Amino acid sequence: MDTKQLMVLIALVGLLIILLMVFFWGGRDDRRPYTPTEAASDSQPLLSENEKLEIKKVVLFFLSEQDDLLYREEREIAFDSLLVHQAKLVIEELIKGSQKGWVSPIPAETKLREVFITTQGVAYVDFSKELHENHPSGSTAEICTIFAIVNSLTYNFKSIKRVYILIDGGEQETLHGHIDLKQPLVPRYDLIAN
Amino acid sequence: MQFRVLIFITLLLLCPLVAAAQDSPFLRISVEDQPDASHILISSSQQLSTSIETSSNYILVRIRSVRPLRVQRPPFQSRLVETIGWSRGSDYYLVNIKTKVSDFEYTTSHLSEPPRLLIRVVSPGDEGALAEPDDNNPALDITPGRAGTDSAARSPLPAQGMKTIVIDPGHGGILAGAEGKFGTLEKNVTLDISLKLKSIIERQGYRVVLTRDRDVDKSLEDRAAIANNNRAFVFISIHANGSQRKAARGSETFFLSMNATDEEARRLAYLENNSTELEKIESPNEDDIKMILWDMAQVDYLRKSSELAESIQAELNTLLGTRNRGVKQAPFKVLTGVACPAVLVEVAFISNPDEERKLGTAEFQQKVAQAIYDGLANFLRKNE
Repeated sequence: MDTKQLMVLIALVGLLIILLMVFFWGGRDDRRPYTPTEAASDSQPLLSENEKLEIKKVVLFFLSEQDDLLYREEREIAFDSLLVHQAKLVIEELIKGSQKGWVSPIPAETKLREVFITTQGVAYVDFSKELHENHPSGSTAEICTIFAIVNSLTYNFKSIKRVYILIDGGEQETLHGHIDLKQPLVPRYDLIAN
Repeated sequence: MQFRVLIFITLLLLCPLVAAAQDSPFLRISVEDQPDASHILISSSQQLSTSIETSSNYILVRIRSVRPLRVQRPPFQSRLVETIGWSRGSDYYLVNIKTKVSDFEYTTSHLSEPPRLLIRVVSPGDEGALAEPDDNNPALDITPGRAGTDSAARSPLPAQGMKTIVIDPGHGGILAGAEGKFGTLEKNVTLDISLKLKSIIERQGYRVVLTRDRDVDKSLEDRAAIANNNRAFVFISIHANGSQRKAARGSETFFLSMNATDEEARRLAYLENNSTELEKIESPNEDDIKMILWDMAQVDYLRKSSELAESIQAELNTLLGTRNRGVKQAPFKVLTGVACPAVLVEVAFISNPDEERKLGTAEFQQKVAQAIYDGLANFLRKNE
């Protein structure tokens, strides 16, 4: 009888420990909640003085006077281990315009407000209102602007799969009544000139 | 005896586990009729971050959540709410509430602990539990209040077998669209061509509905709603193009490209148009079946849209002698919600001074309208 009682007691204690372990560790959800990660606003100076500047080659997309395709232009940007900083640099270079005389897809007065990248690979690119206000309008113009932006990000960064274009911090339905901006856009590599 | 104690203690220990399982995040949508309104209560175990839109007789509630939620939707009977469906996006849930009437208004209130969103739907036609809504008078036949005040949009439904062509003159009101060097506005050109196209098509015995028949603002969603509410057989949006470069010229015809998430909008549009048929299907996988039917319909619309675009573009090329820019695909907002073959014609470039001058003349507009009609007629011959 004594041994039986002891066995029951041991079994109970064992069960209790297992259940407690399951309860405290098993149910924990390791998935990270939605965070527009890596906000670039708190950016530190990229380098301290004695560090060497590392360079990353990127490809930007501009327009030509001949047709409505997107033309590549290589550019060097300072390497940064934070994806969001790199993405921001790429868009800022795109806004500056071409160094080889291509037509700019983005109105010159436009400012980049912010870039966020989610863990799901969606880049939120927030432009100032000039992207909308100074845009020439028209389907072709909208397609060129939007996919120059989208392609410039997805082409250079494999982890960016889709791009959401925001204006002045918020969603905008379209630039001027054509392409749907209320959804993250997938790249269009068929628009790139050979 | 010992054994029973063991079982009892084990069960006792399991209690917190069961409780933990019930704590997994959920979303519960329930409907309850009050004497003067229908209440839709959305409750969740987590903070509710929501946005609401209405579209004809739908209320769409987008609920932000990266985590998967257990959705509970107990069966209900309601005077104002017909069905409630839901779908999941990358970081949100979309709850679509279909109302039995289109002239409804709603108010929302947020309640806490647990987080809840109460949507109170009222309708002037709703006279409490006494009045049962008449199912033979579906709201879909009427252009919803929000979607149109145009007389054009309210034209009577066609006689049996008469097909409806919906023409959408691009832009309008304060949204002028592209502007040419000589001041020609896209919104005026698109309306002029659309009116000419309307009279050509009507002569052939079709019913034509314009999404706007004068210079007014009209949202892109409402334009699609007008097509769906009128059970459009074909939707043609008329635009004049603009480019960053002055030399760009020629005409092109677009149809929708499927961005993965376009599907959401088109699925809703499809359900809106076909819900009466689909609701007859009673099975635990109703949503799956709707989804499959939706996908099938969508593939069909795209195939037909492509065919229509090719047909119209071919006529534009021969008749106008403008440079062939061809048929293209892009995610146009106005095309996403339309549940029928749908194309967007960019007649010519208003940003090109030569083409701008042409676009402003009545003869050119008439030629364009005729070319679009010829392309449409070819399509209709093959698809009737």
